[in-house]
Amino acid sequence: MKRMLKTAAVAAVAAIALAGCGSSPSSSPTNVSPTGQIVPRQISWLLSRPADGSVITIMKKLADDYAKDHPGFSLNLITTPDRPSYIQKYETLAAADKLPELFDTDATPFAQQLAKQGKMMDAGKLLKDLGLYDSFRPAALDYQRFDDGSLYMVPMQFELEFFWYNKSLFQKAGVSVPASLDDLPAACTALRKAGITPIALDGQDQWPLERYVSYQPFRAAGPDYVTSLKKAQAKFSDAPGQKAVTWLDALGKAKCFSDGFSSQGYSDAQNAFTSGQAAMYNIGTWELSSLATDKLNPSVRNDIDFFTLPTTAGSVTKANEFVSPSGIGMAVNSKTYDPLVADFLKFALPKYAAQYAATGALAPTTNVQTTIPANATPLYKKALDKATDLGTKQIMPWDTQLDPTSNTRLQQELTLLVQGNTSPADFTSTMDSTIAQNAPKFFK
Amino acid sequence: MLPTRSRLSVLVFLLPPLVVYGAAVLFPILQSLVLSFFSWNGIGDMEFVGLANYVHMLTHDDVFWRSFLNSLGYLAICLVLQLGGALLVASLLLSLRRGRELVKTLYLLPAVISTVAIAFLFERIYSLDPVGLLNQVLSWLGLGALERPWLSDVNTVLAAVSAPEGWRFTGLYMLIIYAALLAVPRELEEAAILDGASRWQLFTKIRFPYIRPVWITTTIMATTYGLRGFDIPYLMTNGGPGQSSELVTTYMYKTAFTSTDYGYASTISVFIVAECLIAVGLIVMLLRRKGEA
Amino acid sequence: MITHPAPAAVRTAAPQPSHAPARRRRPRLTLHRTLSRAIIVVIVVAQVYPLAWLFLTSLRTEQDFAAGNPFALPSALTLDNFSRAFATGNLGLNILNSFIVTMGANVLIVVLGMMAAYAIQVLGFRLSKLVRGVFLMGIIVPVQIALVPLFIDYSKVGLLDTYQSMIVPLAGFALPMSVYLFSSFFEYIPRETYEAASLDGAGPYRIFGLITLPLSLNTVVTVVLVNSIFIWNDFIFANTFVLTEGLKTIPLGLQNYIGAMGKTDWTATFAAVCVTVTPLLLVFLVLNKAMIQGLEAGASKG
Repeated sequence: MKRMLKTAAVAAVAAIALAGCGSSPSSSPTNVSPTGQIVPRQISWLLSRPADGSVITIMKKLADDYAKDHPGFSLNLITTPDRPSYIQKYETLAAADKLPELFDTDATPFAQQLAKQGKMMDAGKLLKDLGLYDSFRPAALDYQRFDDGSLYMVPMQFELEFFWYNKSLFQKAGVSVPASLDDLPAACTALRKAGITPIALDGQDQWPLERYVSYQPFRAAGPDYVTSLKKAQAKFSDAPGQKAVTWLDALGKAKCFSDGFSSQGYSDAQNAFTSGQAAMYNIGTWELSSLATDKLNPSVRNDIDFFTLPTTAGSVTKANEFVSPSGIGMAVNSKTYDPLVADFLKFALPKYAAQYAATGALAPTTNVQTTIPANATPLYKKALDKATDLGTKQIMPWDTQLDPTSNTRLQQELTLLVQGNTSPADFTSTMDSTIAQNAPKFFK
Repeated sequence: MLPTRSRLSVLVFLLPPLVVYGAAVLFPILQSLVLSFFSWNGIGDMEFVGLANYVHMLTHDDVFWRSFLNSLGYLAICLVLQLGGALLVASLLLSLRRGRELVKTLYLLPAVISTVAIAFLFERIYSLDPVGLLNQVLSWLGLGALERPWLSDVNTVLAAVSAPEGWRFTGLYMLIIYAALLAVPRELEEAAILDGASRWQLFTKIRFPYIRPVWITTTIMATTYGLRGFDIPYLMTNGGPGQSSELVTTYMYKTAFTSTDYGYASTISVFIVAECLIAVGLIVMLLRRKGEA
Repeated sequence: MITHPAPAAVRTAAPQPSHAPARRRRPRLTLHRTLSRAIIVVIVVAQVYPLAWLFLTSLRTEQDFAAGNPFALPSALTLDNFSRAFATGNLGLNILNSFIVTMGANVLIVVLGMMAAYAIQVLGFRLSKLVRGVFLMGIIVPVQIALVPLFIDYSKVGLLDTYQSMIVPLAGFALPMSVYLFSSFFEYIPRETYEAASLDGAGPYRIFGLITLPLSLNTVVTVVLVNSIFIWNDFIFANTFVLTEGLKTIPLGLQNYIGAMGKTDWTATFAAVCVTVTPLLLVFLVLNKAMIQGLEAGASKG
């Protein structure tokens, strides 16, 4: 019996350990144009995008076109739009070394470890080889880069995040567009007095509130603060961090967000804004079709406008530098990279941007023109135009920056801070000790 | 034991289930037990760390202890709703002459609905903006002062996520207890009534002692399910706000799939198994001893 | 887990209680009965309400759902959500896949559970207590932790992305409960029945086929229904092991209604939930009598 148990235990470890490190990439991550014959087969793309969204629709169509000349080829799109479920799936596949030819990932510390192990193709090299590199918006590529500047993911979209606001509600409360981030708490107080919810916030998905913690440090110290903070080289107790903490505390005290925001979902938050109950809504251009077309509730259609992230006194970043994400990126698995995958990407990627822009969205490249839909309001064009006038720096959302354990804790503590369940001092010490404890494991 | 059984026949019946169970359940569990002594992020090298994970969990991890306490609270609420509710309804059902079958069927209905739908339903019920059923009812009753976003308030969220789980499976336990109550010999009850026993005495002196064995099983079932409760809190609040509704199970899941710390997550799940075993032991000890006294 | 001798009265068919109250007590009892009835009605409403809400929501317009009180009656009924649900997803295929997985897992759960319980409870052997304990251990293990090892093991033996990859772990983790329910039930079957059959020269296989199997039909229904509820709604195994669109079960299919950044078409989702819950509901309503009997019989002992 004992011996049986021992044998089983050994087998158990062996089985896992083999999966953990028994793989060597068959193709070098930098060898972007492998030689050999193109043998059509089915390739898969593990992705986290809306099932009927334009990325999937376009790539499906391109794959069908490619299959016409390459019988036997097909692209299997495996989408899990719910991000937490996707991440569980992606990490399980990575642990078993079963990631498919293409997979989606943000520039997270986990992805960086995959890249370091040589499991992803060098996307910079790949795009240069295809002659596409220079057509990409620099901001779209920068968003996908790891800290060391290396690029392993191809952006498939480009978005700008704005503060949408309701002009008539602002007027009713006697509030003007905040010139500085520091004016926001006072604006909230005034809106509250007029019986208006100042800001609609999807607290359930965590990322919307986490954006707010990044704003003040970006204005006060630029994008470097978070890259130091995540490695525990900077602290929340430093000046930029403290600015964020006191500001968020002020936002909470001014009741900027609706009561019970932490259990409010995405649709509820958006409804609160589009039905004229909430005065502001911080969201990106992926919602243009809901906010700047005739789909928008007629009662608020003429009252809606947007402003970009306000600056602050002494801001080191400019007004045209804010959150401009290029979404979750597409990584190319180096283990399964072969002439077929290379040839398909060579076929599909150059055609993709034009078709994507035709759907009314901002393409990650600058060589195509976005088609403004027929039912758009003037706001649609105004929003798109902002993309042509961007600074060189951008805010990286902190959820892609911090190590996952610290990130989870930050999201939890932020809610507590804004709800007034924890003090700024406790928040600061909790976060600093959490990051100090967990960062070293991820940023060796 | 059957007199005509043979060694071969035992093997024929036992081996196939044991093989499937061993391969699908025991082996992976053994693997994760072994993992609990390692530090592993899923893609890097595995590093043997001995008892370090256990030491960290028991001495350094404030989130773990917070979630452990939450789990106990969650368990308590589930048990009250499931066992208390089951006992109440089962007793009431006995006094019903017609429609018992219908009530039983309707009572089981929530178990059929998927957790995703249940989680969303209760989010709506607890919501403040737009106003949900609970707050609506409170304001009708003139208890407007109690209105609140139940899932955002750190003081109410644990109860709020426990209630749906408790509510969902009450029907199942009710059936079991109802069947046991039906089996209480009529003569015993009638004799007690003739002796002038009150309803309460009838219950505590006659019925309950009689169903004690069933009660123990049901308590064990409800307890172990309660300690492993996962999906409703995970879907409704994901442990928030803060760690107010974090359970050991949701914490373990996050440790594994958000933090990619599979070794530490295994340590936490070993704790869950140990916790369940201890709970079962305690229940058996307490309830049995009382029965013998 | 613990075993107790079944109370003698349970073994006989449960008698319908007459509960004839003593005449003197009638007025008080009537009051009591009215009160209990009222409580039962309230509780039943609380239990049925969500299902009604589910169906009503699926008939609401999006605007109605978003703006108004979600608990009021819909201002206008629409079937739009259903057509959107069918257009977005692949509901038919999802239902078929769920059906295959549920059936497959149930066959394994019932057959294997019965075999194990028969070996442990009826045939008996030296280590039967230990084996029973090992099976029951499975009831208290959280499934989430086995995911990564399971996935790695399955990928080794080429089980990924197949029906089996969902069926086997689902059946495996449900087996303990099934073994428990069957062995509890087998305890009911009087020893004498077996002994008589043995004397007639029936071996263990014939006894299994002629006595145990036919007698346990209610328990089979119970095991099948209880497990179907869980398997039909299982998300975690399906999400881990399924990779292709063609194998997606219902809970995975429902994911298709989630849009960019978490924006969800809720009314269409609920229409889809209604469509997908209906088969299970129908089976449940048809078989619930057998299931209730099985539960009562199988679990009404310690």
